[in-house]
Amino acid sequence: MKQRYKEVLLALSLVLLSGCGQPVPNMGNDSSNINNADTISIDEERYNGSNGSNGLDGNSGMYNSSADGFQSLYFDFDSYSITPDMERVIAKDAAVAQKSGDRKIKIEGNCDEFGTDEYNYALGLKRAKAVKDMLAMQGVPSSRMVMVSYGESNPACTVQSDACYAQNRRVDLRLAR
Amino acid sequence: MNSKNHIEILRLKGSILRYLLLVMITINLFAVDATLTIEKDVEQRTRIALEEGSEVYHPSLFELFRSDLKVSGHFLTDANAYTGSYEGGVVDPAQKAQEYVLKYRFDESRGAKLSVRLLKAGDGKEVFRKSYAIPRSSKMPFLVHKAVSDLNDLLKYPSIAWINRYVIYAKYTTPKHSEIVLADYTFSYKKTIIRGGLNLFPVWADSKQRSFYYTSYRGLVPTLYRLNIYTGQKQKIASSEGMMVCSDVSRNGKKILVTMAPSGQPDIYEIDLGSGDKRRITHFNGIDVGGRYIDDENRIVFVSNRLGYPNIFKKGIGRSAVSQVVYHGRNNNACDAFNDKIIYASRESSSVFGHNTFNLYLTSTQSTQTRPLTTTGSNQFPRFSANGAVVLFIKQHAEGSSVGYINLQSKQSLLFPIDGEKIQSIDW
Repeated sequence: MKQRYKEVLLALSLVLLSGCGQPVPNMGNDSSNINNADTISIDEERYNGSNGSNGLDGNSGMYNSSADGFQSLYFDFDSYSITPDMERVIAKDAAVAQKSGDRKIKIEGNCDEFGTDEYNYALGLKRAKAVKDMLAMQGVPSSRMVMVSYGESNPACTVQSDACYAQNRRVDLRLAR
Repeated sequence: MNSKNHIEILRLKGSILRYLLLVMITINLFAVDATLTIEKDVEQRTRIALEEGSEVYHPSLFELFRSDLKVSGHFLTDANAYTGSYEGGVVDPAQKAQEYVLKYRFDESRGAKLSVRLLKAGDGKEVFRKSYAIPRSSKMPFLVHKAVSDLNDLLKYPSIAWINRYVIYAKYTTPKHSEIVLADYTFSYKKTIIRGGLNLFPVWADSKQRSFYYTSYRGLVPTLYRLNIYTGQKQKIASSEGMMVCSDVSRNGKKILVTMAPSGQPDIYEIDLGSGDKRRITHFNGIDVGGRYIDDENRIVFVSNRLGYPNIFKKGIGRSAVSQVVYHGRNNNACDAFNDKIIYASRESSSVFGHNTFNLYLTSTQSTQTRPLTTTGSNQFPRFSANGAVVLFIKQHAEGSSVGYINLQSKQSLLFPIDGEKIQSIDW
């Protein structure tokens, strides 16, 4: 009986003390002004970030937000793996790349909204890198390809549905301008 | 009483004690929530009434004063908004239950001018008087913040100077377009600093908030710039194929942590701004992002998927060993640090898609203890204040979005609505 009470008292003490276990940050004495000076405001010229066709591809019937004859590639949730059914699309994109002379190809990685800031941009980049590596294996020179991750900033679809989220987990290709 | 009954009673007592223990653990775990205000140490706070003496009553002023006083954790404010004469020492009998009366007067005939007087409620004796002015009346919230901050210092409470600081954030407008906006901590004042194009990840470059770093997507590859918000002077820092993000700035402002991918592989680098040298800190063939200086800035914490899911890790700069910091959750994809303290966001949705549930947790590099700070809704973008006392975060819930603040010392929390804005990144 005494042993049981000892155990209970020990457990209660731990619970009560656990609230004090995490040290609380000290308040500093950082000086501050009243932010009274005027701040600047910049209106950048419109960035030419074409979204391509943003519609259904005439040949395949699949949704395609790439441009210049390229087709977009779609990924699973939180994945940057190339699946066998993506290889056929990559082969077509490689053929389009070969026909476009020496022009640079922009490979854009995109994500759905289910991530947070930096991590989502890195995920988009890993998708772009996976596609770039596959295109390089098909003979497209690496020096002609440039990758940019747009994270979740460039949704092709904004409806809250699984089908819509799937359209946003993609890599778009276009000729660099 | 026979021995059988005695054993039954002991078993019953044991069950009751176990139940009480479970209840206490549950209460302790869920004690702090951003949606709740924990009325703790009420007797230790200063009771204060607010009385406006302007020619015209300004409801927004009362709300600003109330918010500032509340979030400080040092004041209990009378819920009534009194009006009366600014001058004189007459105290309304209804205010006698308070310790102090704060009289204020606002005039925006030439810019914005706020005058405040602090009177003792008992005898009407003036203990503080000051006027604050600012050229643009749109910046009026900063006058209130400064007045409350001074009042707080006058009564010798721990500093709440963080309420005077600018918040800077990027918000999405349309696909591939965003704006970078300056705000006060309540989002009552807002000014767009950069509009047009895609400009993301703003981070203050110095403690005085004169310049900030941001990523521009105007060229072929993402480029990091530093922009002075007063002069407009812009300096290119670095660019990288794939991604280029400034995650943290050293205390003296001479070094920054960035995530970039010169060979298509997102890793964390440290840039010495004096020499321009770039030092690669992480080497992993997956995702390493979000580096934050910890301890004496010889180590960092960061987000990595090296265990197959996003989680928080730490490593010494120039050292190879990486160690796991958080042993909780299966999707911890954002963090911030102040000295040895770490706050992180953990995704806790039951399904892959659908309703997002993110909660914030406080832990430390010195222990494995984790303290929940929120329990409901989607709580993201945690950022420590400059002195580590308060955590800023963005909360999304059924009613809309809000910017929230948790005072880690007083456990006071406050939410300000920011509906209609899709925030990409935030710093203060």
